[in-house]
Amino acid sequence: MGDEIYSDLMRELKEGKYVFTGELEPEKAGDVNEPIEMAKELVGMVVACNVTDNPQSFAYVNSMAASYLIQKEAGMECVYQLRCSDRNRMALLSDVLGAGALGLKNILALAGDHVSLGDTPDAKPVFDLDSTTLIQLIRTMVDEGKDLGGKEIHNPPKLHVGGAAAPGAAHLKAEVGKVKRKINAGVEYLQTQVVYYTDVLDKFFDELGKVDVPILVGIFPARTFGQADFFDKYVAGVDVPPDYLEAMRATKAIKDKEKKKEEVDRVNIEFFTGFLEHLKGTPAAGCHMMAVGYPRIIPPLKKLME
Amino acid sequence: MIAQEKKPMEEILGYLEGKQKVVVMGCGGCATFYHTGDTKAVNEMAANLTKEGKDVFKMPLPFSIQACDIEKSGVWLEKNRKELENRDALLVLSCGDGVQVVTEYMDEKMGITKSVIPANDALGLVGGGPKKFKETCQSCGMCELGKTAGICPLTSCGKGLMNGPCGGVRVDNKCEIDEKKDCAWVKIYERMEKLGELDKFISIRSPHEWSKAARPRLFEIEEPVGMDVIGAMKGMLTVKFGPKPKLDE
Ligand code: SF4
Ligand code: SF4
Repeated sequence: MGDEIYSDLMRELKEGKYVFTGELEPEKAGDVNEPIEMAKELVGMVVACNVTDNPQSFAYVNSMAASYLIQKEAGMECVYQLRCSDRNRMALLSDVLGAGALGLKNILALAGDHVSLGDTPDAKPVFDLDSTTLIQLIRTMVDEGKDLGGKEIHNPPKLHVGGAAAPGAAHLKAEVGKVKRKINAGVEYLQTQVVYYTDVLDKFFDELGKVDVPILVGIFPARTFGQADFFDKYVAGVDVPPDYLEAMRATKAIKDKEKKKEEVDRVNIEFFTGFLEHLKGTPAAGCHMMAVGYPRIIPPLKKLME
Repeated sequence: MIAQEKKPMEEILGYLEGKQKVVVMGCGGCATFYHTGDTKAVNEMAANLTKEGKDVFKMPLPFSIQACDIEKSGVWLEKNRKELENRDALLVLSCGDGVQVVTEYMDEKMGITKSVIPANDALGLVGGGPKKFKETCQSCGMCELGKTAGICPLTSCGKGLMNGPCGGVRVDNKCEIDEKKDCAWVKIYERMEKLGELDKFISIRSPHEWSKAARPRLFEIEEPVGMDVIGAMKGMLTVKFGPKPKLDE
């Protein structure tokens, strides 16, 4: 593994700082204005933000273009999410080169949801590479300056590659086997799918054992009941606790906008106080706050980790 | 075998718009097995088309005469040359392979160019039976089963991942894409565990070599199967199977 550090995210991870990252979601739009505005609010709160790539297989603004614009306009370092669902190995390779040329510093290599789950279900699913072989490809490009056929890359891209892990996976042993495989492939850090239950997290860390790769644990403080409900119903491997879901549902009835916001924040802070307290005792290197469109919750949650 | 199902009648009628005189051709191979091109299916299709006012000529193929095996099915085409020449369209009750082999033969060997219409949708290479079948192989040209405990990662995994499982495995180890299907990568894990080969599970499998499936693939064998084999196949039909062994024997 190369020792070079190209991004602020990797610098903080290597320095052993407790890391916080955020998430931005480009939409079905011809601009990236909203995520840019969100990113501006998040500057200083998180070291970097994931920029989603067609999440749940809904076709949105290209995440490389969005990452570039967000970095440029908001000064927020981005983690460019890159899925194997929509591109073959040639397109992935060109995208990684493109990302390097645009000055992107981090890629999160993902298999991606199947296209049939999203808004373009008749698309041909690609999956020419998988998350592991994409990680391997990126490391070969960056560290050895070679493409898949061993051909030399002039001025190779300078960026880091992360991978995902799903602590709540139905078959934990197979999931952990896959995570170990990603580590073999040279993944530089891991970011978990959203977790709400501390015992799910503990079991995952136990099964994984000691590894050299830093792990960011994903949490999802929901801004609305709808967001929490969507996660519970549609995101594989994520169970939202019924108590939390009910408390969020109750906020729907509050008419006054400000009071509603206060109550949503209170429910989140109450729920995550215990979770984050527990997180301090785990091997996690930081926390990925998937609070899309909800930057105001990040400072109080970060405070809980102090 | 190539699994298949019948296309909706409206779709077929759409293709046949403006075409009055139609040949309905069957298939004695897979399409007979799946009842999409057997004699009964040919009769039913002919009756439906007649009801729609079409003038129909029926051309079922006997059992074991497959539409795609042109040396044999060609005999039936030649026998019915007159009808084929005088008709507006040929509706073939086989998989897409049968449809195209027949089309090419008529075009190139018989000099008869007609509209050829598929009556079925082919669903892949399946195994199992007698009632339930599962697609397990897509004839990729570079078999990976030796790396995945005998379960095809390209076909049995909904995403065709060489290194799974993905993060979407559902409760009861079902697939992210369809809760009725098992996650192939959990199955691969479990078989490797039983085989004591979990080290293979965490090793990295290289991306699949799709160049081995450069389409259309052409293929040649040295000794073609001749008409005499059909006689032997007919003989097979009279073979009586003995009683099934009991499971505890
Ligand atoms: S890898 Fe799968 S698709 Fe390819 S030949 Fe083997 S079983 Fe068939
Ligand atoms: S759930 Fe299993 S079978 Fe389905 S796509 Fe994911 S790895 Fe493949």
